Parts: sequence; C-alpha cells; structure tokens
Amino acid sequence: MNWHQDYIERYKKLKEQGKSFFPYAVLKDTIMAFFILGLLCWFAYHFGAALEDPADPTDSNYNPRPEWYFLFLFQALKLFPGNLESVAAVLLPGLGVTFLFLLPFLDRGPERHFLKRPFFTLLGVGTLAGIGYLTYQGTVSPLTNPIVEKDPLVFAGQRLYVSLNCSYCHKIGGKGGTVGPELDKVASGETEDWLEKHFREPQSVSPGSAMPKLNLLDDEIKVLVAFIKSLGGGEGFTEEAPKVFAENCAMCHKIGKEGAEVGPDLSLIGTARDKNYIRKYIEDPSKLNPTSNMPGYKGQLTDVQIEDLARYLSAQKGN
Amino acid sequence: MNLIWEWMKSRLALQEIWNALFSRHVPEAEGWAGWLYTLGSASLFVFFIQVITGSLLAMNYVPSPDHAYDSIRFINEQVIFGKWIRALHHWGATFMVVLVSLHMLRVYFMGSYKYPREATWIVGVILFLLVMGFSFTGYLLPWDQKSYWATMVGANIASQTPIIGSYVAKILKGGDEMGAVTLTRFYAIHTLVLPGLILVAILIHLFLVVWHGISEPPQKNKGSDKKEGA
Amino acid sequence: MEEKNLNNKISRRSFLTYVIVSLGGLMGAILTGLGCGYFLSPIWRKKEDSWIDLGLVKDFIEGEPIKIDFTVRKRDAWSTIESKSSAWIITANQKDFIAFDPKCTHLGCPYRWSVEKRQFLCPCHTATFSVDGKVVSGPPPRALDRYPTKVVGGHLLILPQVVGKGKEV
Repeated sequence: MNWHQDYIERYKKLKEQGKSFFPYAVLKDTIMAFFILGLLCWFAYHFGAALEDPADPTDSNYNPRPEWYFLFLFQALKLFPGNLESVAAVLLPGLGVTFLFLLPFLDRGPERHFLKRPFFTLLGVGTLAGIGYLTYQGTVSPLTNPIVEKDPLVFAGQRLYVSLNCSYCHKIGGKGGTVGPELDKVASGETEDWLEKHFREPQSVSPGSAMPKLNLLDDEIKVLVAFIKSLGGGEGFTEEAPKVFAENCAMCHKIGKEGAEVGPDLSLIGTARDKNYIRKYIEDPSKLNPTSNMPGYKGQLTDVQIEDLARYLSAQKGN
Repeated sequence: MNLIWEWMKSRLALQEIWNALFSRHVPEAEGWAGWLYTLGSASLFVFFIQVITGSLLAMNYVPSPDHAYDSIRFINEQVIFGKWIRALHHWGATFMVVLVSLHMLRVYFMGSYKYPREATWIVGVILFLLVMGFSFTGYLLPWDQKSYWATMVGANIASQTPIIGSYVAKILKGGDEMGAVTLTRFYAIHTLVLPGLILVAILIHLFLVVWHGISEPPQKNKGSDKKEGA
Repeated sequence: MEEKNLNNKISRRSFLTYVIVSLGGLMGAILTGLGCGYFLSPIWRKKEDSWIDLGLVKDFIEGEPIKIDFTVRKRDAWSTIESKSSAWIITANQKDFIAFDPKCTHLGCPYRWSVEKRQFLCPCHTATFSVDGKVVSGPPPRALDRYPTKVVGGHLLILPQVVGKGKEV
C-alpha cells in the first residue's frame, strides 16, 4: 500500500521530534503505577477478599453469580431462552474474539482518528453500551434465593460434627446412628458448661457413657458446643401459629405440602435460622435481606403473633 | 566496585540495552492523552504484583477439596499480612481486567492496531484472553460457595458449545463432576500453564512495542498523508 | 543563554529521575515489606503447647517405670492431625515425675524396661540406660531425652516435645 511508506517516514520524523522515553514517559508510568498501587491498597484495606462458606455441592439455596466482569455474559444468557442459549453462551463471545483478532485486517485504511473511522467507532461505542447495560441489568436483578447468613461458630461446629463422624452414633433431625442419644432432643438442653466438660471427659459428667474421649482442642470444643446449643430452639408455640401461617404466609411459602412456592420453601427453615432471626425477618425483611420481595409484618400482626410464628417456624426442621 | 560495574556494563551490554529501551525517543503525547499511554505499563505493574502475591499465596495453599478452604482460612488468620496479600491478589485480578480492557479500548479508539502494529494487537488480544483465563481459573481456588458455583456456571456455559460441548465441559472439569481433579487442574493451569504462556506473550508484546515504536496520538487532519506538510 | 537552557534541562532531568527513583523505591518498599512479613511469618508464629493429661498421679507406682500410650491431637497449619505416641513415666514420690521420650538416643529404636535388670534395654545395639536415663553401656551419645512434666489438680500432664537433648527439664 502506498501510505505505508509515507507513514513510516512521518513516524520517523515524529519520533525524532519526540522526547526520550526516560525520564519523561517513565515518570508518567511511575506516577500511574503509584496511583494504581495506592488504589489497590485502598480496595484491599476497605473491602478485603471475601471468603464465603466452604463449597457445598448439595446446597440448593445458593445464588450463583459470576465475577462482575463476566456478569454481562451471564445476563445475556437470560435474553436467549431455550435452544438459543448456546448463541449467547458460545457463539457471541466466539464472534467477538474472532472480530478482535481480525480487526487489523478489517480496518486497514490510513485513518486513525476515531472521527474518521465512524463505523468502527460506533461499533465500539455500541458494544460498550451493550455490555454496560447488561452489567447494570445483572447487578440490579434480584437474587432468587434468600441470602442465608450462618453463625460462623455454629457452622464450624457443624463441619466438625461431620468430619468427626459423630452421626455414626448420634441422631440429629432423625438422621444418624442409635448408639448415642438424639442430640437435638437431649443434648441441646444441657448447659454450655456441662457440654464442655462432656467433650473433655465424657465420664466426668455422665458416668458409664460409651462416648469416647476425643482429645479435642479448645476451639474445637467451643464450636461444637455452639453447634449443639443451636440445635435447640422450637420453644413451645401455640395452636394459633399454624393458623396464622396459613392465613398470612401460605400464599407464598410452603411448609411440608401446604402452601405456595412464590417464596422459599420453609419446611427446613429451623435448621438454618434461630427464632430471633426469624422474628426480625418477619418484622422487616428488608433489614436482613435487601433484595427480598416479602413485605414486613410489624403492625400487620401483633408482636405476640409474630413471636408465636417465629417459634413455630424455628421448629420446622423436617421432622 | 567501579571495576565490577564496568565489567557488568560491558559483558551484559547494559548501556546498549539502556539505550534501546529507555533512551529511545517516543512521539510526544501531550496533555491527558499522555496518561492514556500509561495503561499498558500499569497492566505490567499489576502483573508483577500478581506474580509476587500469587507466589506467596501458593506457599500456604493446598489444591484439594479437603484442605483448600482451610488453607485459605489459615492464610487469612494465621499468616502475617496474609489477609493483605490475599486481598491484594484478589483486587489485583480485578484491576488487571480493568486496566487491560482500558488499554485495549485506548488502542481500539486511537486506531493504534493499524500498520505496522497489527501483530502487536494480535498478541495483545492473546494477552487479554490469558488474563481472562487467569481470572476464571483463579476464581475456583478458594473452594468456597461463590467459587464453586461460579465455576459450575462457567462449565455449564462451556457445555453449551454445539456438538463438542459435553467434551469441553468434561475436559474443563477433569471428569463428569466437579471435584478434586477440577481443583488440581485449575490450580496447575493458574500457576504453571498460564504464567508460562503469558510471560512469553508479554515479552513478544513488549518487544514489538519497542521495535515498531509507540504509536503517536492520532490527529484529525493528519490521518491521510495527502495534506501533510500543508 | 543557551548554556542556561541546557543547565535547566539537565537539572529538570535529574529532578525527574529523582522523583521516579523515590516513588519506585517507595512502592518497592511497600511490596517488599508485605512480602517479607508474609514469607518470614514462621519466625513469629507462636508454638502451641498441647499438654497431655496422663491421668491421676496417685495411679503411678513409685519407683516403677511405666509406658503410657496417648493420642496427641494438634493443629498442623490448616489441618488437625491425630497421632499416637507414648512416654516412659517414672516417679519416686508421686510428686516429681520424669517423662522419657520412648526412643533410644542412638538411632531412635524403641527401648523397653527390664524388671530383672532394672535397666532400660535397647534392642538395636544392646544399649542399656539406668532408671534415671543415664547411659550405662553401648553406643548412645547421651542420656534419654525427656519431656516436660507438671502436676495440675492431681493430674500428671506432659508436653510431648523433646526440650534440651538428654538434659533434665
């Protein structure tokens, strides 16, 4: 092409007129790097790096969500239902990458200013706007499943319960062995002090117990006690509670086979939440879960009814 | 001391390297446009941060479903500055994606990918894909809910590929189910395969940038050479 | 006039170099500081002492060494490991206890107590130790290694870590 030679010559001239890379350009690079490092440290300090609960392949209540820079792709999938999903999932990104690779051969004229390349400028701006729009849509789209916050101590205790194979002898929620007592029925009623002594030296508080001494570390005992205590709950509720539920909640929620599926199924809510959390949630869901569509019931129901309902729900452990 | 310096200078060709890399002249980019030219070097800087923090994290990380999560907890809670190093690596990844994208947009809208710098752009696109690969594989490593399910979604998206989809997903996951093999695979790719590839690509990219010279900021009336000099 | 310009240029250049070097140095220092703290953190990590309860002191027979097996459960960074271990316990008065590491100080073979000879016998190179751990015969370089002991609330506790090779603790 005839302009190639001209460009090389013109660039040579520009280069000669230009300044030395060091220190002029390097200064800008260094200041930029300094700014970036500062910003990075600020982000690291301010937000840290989140670590959620350990991966649980059996958890069906989790809201999978990709990192924000993949969110547009995630969101795009929703625009292509059914068989067409592969278009958004593979074809579009594939085309995009191919386009990027071929770009220097598609746009090969001498013009470099964006105003002189209206097609590519518009294409670029259009793509950016599309990605921006989809990302925005992705961030505001509500999470279908409620965000379940767990007490870290209780959760750690639950993990330890599994890894120590306690269920070989003990039952929780009707599952487990029959050698030892059913923990949610018996053990959660004991005091923390009793439980701690029991973990350290089972025979010291219950002579003749078949429970082995486990040589547990102090913090392991702490989390196990928290876990066992959390199995309690289900303080007595009145006969009114199921009726209140049927009248106010069942049009969205399900317990067992009764109720609708607009909101989450609450049949097992007592295994994830304690009474106090549930009461707060019924009073004003938005405080605990900003993306919830559920209305608050403070004022709609009396405090006694809410308390009763919370007790009823915290007893829902699937048994 | 001086003798050692002189010896190094001559045997390692330090002066020549300095002249070629740092004393080279670059076209003037005035005002704010000059700052757009720092995006590439900023990406390189963040890459160095990722190499340093990543190597440190690897010292205390186990790529196994049994221990991955607890080893991250160990880094967070027991290692001095562990929280910091992990947070820097985490946000460094985000910064990397942002900076590389901005750099790419600068090149796109300034038309810098044109003759004679086509190859520089193509290597740049490869670098962009490698960064995305880093981000995708690194996301799984903490083995928490977020990473597990995001990778699950990613693998399911890959399985949408017509005809070869199920094979792609299997290769990615190292089997039918996500598990131990997935994690070791992602770890090896994240810490061995991709760093090797990206290092080669960065060297080629930088060599081409120096070889062809940094592109000048385009001027509206100087695009075509016809009117030049007028 | 021209010379002044040139001088200006040089001083500007060296000023910029100064800025670059100091900013670069500061960034290097931040990253190196963080990195070194992380890399060197084993130096400052506190060792967790896990004392093992071996039971009531009154259950130990005076003057008669006894081998006690116990399970040590401890944290090893991110994993919790359990290991079986043992110690030879000797007491003269049920107040002062000596706990010996159960490995011969020569090559680490497990020795045993001979009631007739009233000596510890190592099967590997026929070394013998007296009841207080001193080498009586054979190749071992030093007396038997000891574990720290203490008595708390009528229970004997030991810390199964060799401190001060062969020395009393």
